[in-house]
Amino acid sequence: MAVDASAITVTTIAADAQDRAVADRLHALEHDGRLETVFLDREDMSRRRLRAGTDQGTECRIALPREQRLFDGAVLLLEDGRAVVVRQEAETWLSLQAADTPSALELGYFAGNMHWRVRFDGAVLHIAATGELDAMLERLEPLLDGGTITRIHP
Amino acid sequence: MASVLADNEQPEAVSGPARVGIGGPVGSGKTSLIEVLLPRLQERGYQVAVITNDLVTREDADRIRNSGLLPAERVLAVETGACPHTVIREDPTLNIEAAERLEAEFPELDLILVESGGDNLASTFSFDLVDYWMFVIDVAGGDDIPRKRGPGVLRSNLLVVNKADLAPHVRVDLDRMMTDARTVRDGRPVVLTDCHRGTGVDELIDLLVNETLFR
Repeated sequence: MAVDASAITVTTIAADAQDRAVADRLHALEHDGRLETVFLDREDMSRRRLRAGTDQGTECRIALPREQRLFDGAVLLLEDGRAVVVRQEAETWLSLQAADTPSALELGYFAGNMHWRVRFDGAVLHIAATGELDAMLERLEPLLDGGTITRIHP
Repeated sequence: MASVLADNEQPEAVSGPARVGIGGPVGSGKTSLIEVLLPRLQERGYQVAVITNDLVTREDADRIRNSGLLPAERVLAVETGACPHTVIREDPTLNIEAAERLEAEFPELDLILVESGGDNLASTFSFDLVDYWMFVIDVAGGDDIPRKRGPGVLRSNLLVVNKADLAPHVRVDLDRMMTDARTVRDGRPVVLTDCHRGTGVDELIDLLVNETLFR
């Protein structure tokens, strides 16, 4: 494959955007339109090695050591005239409410059996639905049709 | 540190070999695929090692060692003892240790292939273990597999539809199967392979090295 002159290879995380001094530099670069952002979903955030593009079209070849992890605000490149920062895309959460204890048990069992990632919120179960919402709703159809589980979001 | 590449400059060296997971149902052809990949990867100059995962035997490791495709010491076996997906997803410690051992003993490695034990359509790899993973299904398993949308089919970095040569014998509509696979994967790559004839294998390798070795 031809080497793209605009590509960057990232073998370590250069900085954390939350560090005060770094944040000031990024702010200045952003002001001049020289801050580029890589948006990644949660799954890609957990990868050490991947190709990804910035919002300005620069290709990033990311190959981190095993002991490093990407995070929201990881700075991949920090130069005087340019910076590249990683941002995690917002996740979609499917929120379901159970009308009674038996329904809640059944829903909890089903979500666990499906290996879904959940958050507990009283009588509401939030299920991470990144990219698979339609498929999840299809699988939940028998429970939702039963009338004791209510979809409250989205 | 990140660097901007000039024309014709090679990418900065990355540390350690890429780790690539190969998962999929029992009998889908994971080991056969590895046996076809190994000589072609070596022809391209890549140094490769393999970790196999079996339930209670070392059958797959022995098969690859006995094939002579790799020096025997570059093939390690992990005995899972339980559900195969637990050692590639929930607790991949045994496989991580095996990969680290290979990396220490063979610093020249470019790739470590981690073959999962045969599992179901819900099988996925942890990115703590691998950098990239493919899920192998086969034509003889039925053309409805993509439509069942298991996590392996949906979330793998690459879906391999293997045993294309069997389609006429098992009354599978291959075009429909591939269309369904591409539809449910929403743009993620799908490759059709026939390990006996080698069809699709170079395309698979192109994707693999492009995504993990940046070449």
